[in-house]
Amino acid sequence: MRSITIDPITRLEGHGKIHLFVKDDGELANCYFQIPELRGFEKFCQGRPVEELARITTRICGVCPDAHHMAAAKATDAVFGVTIPPAAFKLRTLMYNAFFAGDHTTHFYALGGPDFVCGPDAPAAERNILGVIAKVGLDAGKKVIGMRAAGQKIIEMIGGKKVHPVTAIPGGQAKAISKTEQEEIAKLGDQMVEFAKFTVQVLNDIVLSNKAYLEMILSDSYAHQTYNMGLVDENNKVTFYDGKVRVVGPDGKEHAKYEPARYLDYVAEHVESYSYLKYPYLKKIGWKGFVDGVDSGVYKASPLSRLNASDGMTTPLAQAEYERFYETLTGDKSGKKMVHSTLATHWARVVELINACEVVQKMARDEEILSPNVRTIPTGIVGEGVGIVEAPRGTLTHHYRTDNNGIVVEANLIVGTTNNNAPISMSVKRAAEGLIKKGSEITEGTLNRIEMAFRAYDPCFGCATHSLPGEMPMEVVVHDAESGEVVSTTRRHC
Amino acid sequence: MCLAVPMKVIKVNGTVGSVELSGVTMEVQLTLVPEVKVGDSVIVHAGFALSVIDEESAREAVDLWKDYVDHSE
Repeated sequence: MRSITIDPITRLEGHGKIHLFVKDDGELANCYFQIPELRGFEKFCQGRPVEELARITTRICGVCPDAHHMAAAKATDAVFGVTIPPAAFKLRTLMYNAFFAGDHTTHFYALGGPDFVCGPDAPAAERNILGVIAKVGLDAGKKVIGMRAAGQKIIEMIGGKKVHPVTAIPGGQAKAISKTEQEEIAKLGDQMVEFAKFTVQVLNDIVLSNKAYLEMILSDSYAHQTYNMGLVDENNKVTFYDGKVRVVGPDGKEHAKYEPARYLDYVAEHVESYSYLKYPYLKKIGWKGFVDGVDSGVYKASPLSRLNASDGMTTPLAQAEYERFYETLTGDKSGKKMVHSTLATHWARVVELINACEVVQKMARDEEILSPNVRTIPTGIVGEGVGIVEAPRGTLTHHYRTDNNGIVVEANLIVGTTNNNAPISMSVKRAAEGLIKKGSEITEGTLNRIEMAFRAYDPCFGCATHSLPGEMPMEVVVHDAESGEVVSTTRRHC
Repeated sequence: MCLAVPMKVIKVNGTVGSVELSGVTMEVQLTLVPEVKVGDSVIVHAGFALSVIDEESAREAVDLWKDYVDHSE
């Protein structure tokens, strides 16, 4: 038997590894997914004033700084027991949606979407934004860049800086916005909605009109029946900045809906000996291993799970796309029947992208965002707080406990990708089982299709895990599992 | 290395460039940051320079990382 290790997963942050245990006759014996974790970050937070965390956590990972900024700010508001003014709430929501739309754009066009747009068998060198541009036209590249610039401009105006926002502070926002800024944000919002429409066109022309891709989305190799997690508003519609956490089973039945502060009643973490990373699961169902179904506590937290956990979208274009998504994949546009295909996550991401752009457009015209009352000065301290937002990659939880002076004594973070550790492992295994048949040769294309199973989650180990510069070379190890002898080792840096 | 930390751009060659941090250099895609020039700090993720950030933000992030490394040793 030989073991094949795919590492690095092209275009993926961090050091994820897929281990495939293949018998001599080509049959797949086992498969698992392994990543090292950034250890000690929670400890690093201890002893610091809690109000610093909204700045520190953004800098530890530059991929989704806004998500950490917001989750940290919300947790800190709770630590001080303060409710932020409506204008601050709206400014944060507006900025967060601008960030969200930009991040989803990056994934769809540059990181994960190319799997679809260029096709799984395209050489790795073409499965990137250049390949997308070659397919969609040069204009697309300009539009993608314009869209990301629009998002960054909005973040800069509200958040003070275009990449690492700094304005969310205990009790609200450090600054209000001017009429001129509001007008500019409104224009950028219009531009973003136009881009969202363009993206739907790209999805239609290239992905949905291609029967082979649609079949791949619906293929069993990429299907997973797990619980689904996502934040929802009072009407059970998808929301990113604030709401209750809703968990819906693979059968479409609601398992739980809870306030962020009660997350520990619902989520627990399982540990495996081969990984530092924890595997969160639903406490009330229990950890039953890496298995599907209503009796297994495994849940997903991704664009797909958010759609599954909701009853729809808050804005018209996104709602229309939500209905088309469910109608095409389940035959029922209401969304009551769950979509289980991992690869449908890319499409779900487009639905969310549209929603985020529409929220920006709409909220930019809400006169209340011009209110100078953007902060409630905290006067007391509760000493404990939880902040949950939907990060682009899944539900992000920050939980702090402090002493009476607001110094952090304990911090717990469950980051977007961590939620998906178990489903990612399961998806990789399922894809491998479906693709590696006894006696068949394992080609580059096969390996890429296995990687696709987990790229759909847009996993980012920037904050879920981290290794430091100069450490950990990338390696591909093939060895005979019977004798333990290494057949070959290839080292490379990402 | 794919790190979500700021790296300094040391070479730009069309849509590809070289970036450096603490003596580690790597090639990255610059497609998403057409405005980039040598000397800028960029956030690198999964082989892509995602955004150009100002000097102060870059320094803060790098300092924080150094602090974190010292702390965890």
